[in-house]
Amino acid sequence: MTGTSAFFLRREDLVPLLEELAETLEVVAPVLVEGEAAFATWRGGALALDDKNPLASPMEFFLPKKEVLFRYVQYSGRYTFSEDPPRARLIFGMRPCDLQALKVIDGIFGAELPDIPYAGRRRSTIIVALNCTSPGEGCFCRSMGSGPGAEGGYDLLLTDLGRGYLVEPGSPAGVYILRAHQRHFEEADPEDQREKERLLALAGEEIIKRGPSLNPEKIREAIDGVDWEEAGRRCLACGGCSLVCPVCHCFSVLDQGVPDGERLRCRDTCILSGFSRMTSGANPRPALGERLRHWYLDKFVYIPEKTGLFGCVGCGRCSRVCLGEVDRWSLFKEAAE
Amino acid sequence: MEKIATICVYCGCGCGLFLHVEDGRIVGASPSPAHPVSRGRLCVKGWLAADFVHHPDRLKTPLVRKGGRMVRGSWDEVLSLTARRFKEIREESGPDALAVLTSAKGTNEENYLLAKLARAALKTNNVDHVARLCHAPSVAGLGFALGSGGMTNPIRSLLSSGAILVTGSNTTEQHPLVAAHILEAQSRGATLIVVDPRRTQMAQLADIHLAPRLGTDVSWTNGILNLIIDLGLVDEDFIIKRTEGFSALKDLVVQYTPVEVERITGIPSGDLEKAAVAFGEADRAAVVYAMGTTQHSCGTDNVLALANLVLATGNVGRDGTGIYPLRGHQNVQGACDMGALPSVYPGYQKVEDPAARERMEAAWGTDLPAEPGLTAVEMMEAAEEGRLKGVYISGENPMISYPDRDQVMRALSSLEFLAVADIFPTETTALADVVLPVASFAEKDGTFTSTERRVQRVRRAASPPGEARPEVEVAADLLRRLGVDADYASPEEVMAEISSVTPSYGGISYQRLGISGLSWPCPSRDHPGTEILHQGSFPIGRGRFSAVEQQELAEDLDYPLLLTTGRSLFHFHTGTMTRRTHLLDRERPKAAVDINPADAAALGVRSGTMVVVESATGSLEIEARLTEEVPVGTVYIPFHFAEAPANQLTARTLDPTSKIPGLKRTPVRIRRAE
Repeated sequence: MTGTSAFFLRREDLVPLLEELAETLEVVAPVLVEGEAAFATWRGGALALDDKNPLASPMEFFLPKKEVLFRYVQYSGRYTFSEDPPRARLIFGMRPCDLQALKVIDGIFGAELPDIPYAGRRRSTIIVALNCTSPGEGCFCRSMGSGPGAEGGYDLLLTDLGRGYLVEPGSPAGVYILRAHQRHFEEADPEDQREKERLLALAGEEIIKRGPSLNPEKIREAIDGVDWEEAGRRCLACGGCSLVCPVCHCFSVLDQGVPDGERLRCRDTCILSGFSRMTSGANPRPALGERLRHWYLDKFVYIPEKTGLFGCVGCGRCSRVCLGEVDRWSLFKEAAE
Repeated sequence: MEKIATICVYCGCGCGLFLHVEDGRIVGASPSPAHPVSRGRLCVKGWLAADFVHHPDRLKTPLVRKGGRMVRGSWDEVLSLTARRFKEIREESGPDALAVLTSAKGTNEENYLLAKLARAALKTNNVDHVARLCHAPSVAGLGFALGSGGMTNPIRSLLSSGAILVTGSNTTEQHPLVAAHILEAQSRGATLIVVDPRRTQMAQLADIHLAPRLGTDVSWTNGILNLIIDLGLVDEDFIIKRTEGFSALKDLVVQYTPVEVERITGIPSGDLEKAAVAFGEADRAAVVYAMGTTQHSCGTDNVLALANLVLATGNVGRDGTGIYPLRGHQNVQGACDMGALPSVYPGYQKVEDPAARERMEAAWGTDLPAEPGLTAVEMMEAAEEGRLKGVYISGENPMISYPDRDQVMRALSSLEFLAVADIFPTETTALADVVLPVASFAEKDGTFTSTERRVQRVRRAASPPGEARPEVEVAADLLRRLGVDADYASPEEVMAEISSVTPSYGGISYQRLGISGLSWPCPSRDHPGTEILHQGSFPIGRGRFSAVEQQELAEDLDYPLLLTTGRSLFHFHTGTMTRRTHLLDRERPKAAVDINPADAAALGVRSGTMVVVESATGSLEIEARLTEEVPVGTVYIPFHFAEAPANQLTARTLDPTSKIPGLKRTPVRIRRAE
């Protein structure tokens, strides 16, 4: 198994491969829950890979919605602390958009002073990505340059070619898996590679055709032209857009329990007024429209300044969950016109 | 990580969501994409639905009062004490000295067993729950007019409406997923009419906003009907074929001319006409209402007037039409269905009906009391007067949610024995003789019935903390200790019994409850459930019009302002769960009274000023918030906050039919705090 950069995994070999991997790792994969794909611990059986990208991004395995940073126990006036070590995990079927989100978060939580829990989970997680050959309705990754094909950031990359998967390693860990489980893999035909390119090109065209051709630069320019007051009028303040966004990462920290308890880190959202409200009660972003505007500014101005990458990966989830029927991306179409 | 499909614990929308569970702990929630109501969306409370579950304040061990202090007891100790005290009180003072308040937060199975506990074990019909304070007028009013107090259509039916009249409902805050459907219908061309004294977000989004004075609902409803009759927009065919009593109503509503309605309600006659035309001309029109309609001492009249409107325009029994009483709790519909009401058995079979009683006696293998019992607020009065001596309260917090808090305090304190089951310590558990720690919605199996009569599966995602137990087990244990067979291996077996004694649940079993659940009536195993009621006929034969008149409104010069109460988007009810959800409590950390800037100027009050609000019942100190969301002369306080309990001010003026207190209109006066 040397000298080749791509392999082929037959469809029927996927489950046996995962079974072997699950012996040593927690395998997380899209499985059907109430008829919809959701990332959960895989316990054998069918995978839900044909469905659209699950609504809850696998980013939650790197940045949980709620995590215990440490536990504190008081004894005779002295505190002792304990933390849980990160667990060894393999995430199977992560899509290119979510992979791009991980790169963005690496630029924030993995920057100079890395966030320890994040870095721990990052190190202990193997990523098997899956290219999007049949993109979902609201997807616009192509416009944001984050899909439908993944570029780096994975340990293994799979592309569904119908009769099986083209498998490409992206890291030493990926190569190790290919070697350790080599009986499941065969060398890929050069034709397979061309088939992959063809499928991804088709998918890319499909995305451009289906969705508005959203250009991040244009969105950035259009932000000031949007009628935010009107958008805010219709916003029902559910916070769903940031709770579902794979790039949103703001958190608040709270200690629960006296004298013993836990320090929790919980996902927060700038859509809530409490996020920016100061102790005095003053709020630099008092209206919902202003907070919505901030949400976009963060994605298209502030995060790019910090990481060099856009804070939107085009997964379309914010529009899927918007309770106020605000078509998140048509805002910009109107502003551009 | 596991993703467990279950139903949200907050409002009556009944949204499907997934709880994300890692190592036995719930670490997040997300909407169920295929669920018919949530459709991949949730409100902010839904996204944070399970945040309180592992809060350190959870009740973890049974508590018993000894020497004035609450100390830890064993389950056997507290349950045998509870059973013994109930037996003693029954022997000394008769069964009607006992009562059970069940919980709209509990499952159907829990409510069923607790109602059974009252009737079959304690031998009293003194069983009620929070529905008394929310939709008792709907059960009474729609029950009379249409033959069923349930919402006539599923929520998604609103998507086909041409006009939607929303009244007494702060829908975007209280039933956000219903609001999402309404706004979607509006974007498809439906006219949205919102009737609310406050300028809520819903009112701001409306095509037509009518802002009546508090307590004048019958007038504007009759006024709209009068205009619709005048304009020839009634459905005469429907009136002739399917209803009775129209002529008496017609004779009455003539008096409610636009000018007269404007005089009573303050609604400009032109706006009333616009609303009447939009509602009357729509091929499919719907009426959506909630507590702003029902929580009045004329609550049943308000509901009857709205029923008149849908009957006269033939807006019943078809997709896109109907009347939608929005239930406030995720299982208040189910608690009513299970007979947790003083006058009915499961499935609204009347306790006074000898045939129904005989059936239930045969099913439960014991004799049952024949007289209807006390309603919730009446129980508080009976307790204060010493007629009621022993009460079991499941997950309710009357100290915050019932009117006239001081009286509730006196009532509960004067009981000989009070057992309270809850998930958190509350102002009510503080008064208890025994406290029973029970499982939260995320820690038990069962079913909830949503506002659209949709019976859905609730699933255990984590273990209850400490020694806490699902209340279905607690109720079964108490039943056995009081001599009633209750050997249920699981909640599923309780549901099997429910379906055998409840005609409308006859076909419901756990196996059949898929992602969309089943809407009752579902009388048999092969019945697909009923999403739209009253297609072709009413259970009572013909729909009944009621000639209801505007009540005289008491005015008091000493109390020149009118207080109305409600809930915030970010909190639920008495706040036991949401105030322990970090992001929600941060969003709305304290109570405030909303005052119109014009009133505030007259009072010399600014935003942030502490004021004293006084009514004939009581007074409280609270921060003022200036907003034009309330009209001049009206003030508003959300009732979630124990620090400034709005119900310190409200009175126990009851609607004569449904016994709901008039929580939505209390004369008050305001002054700056010293």
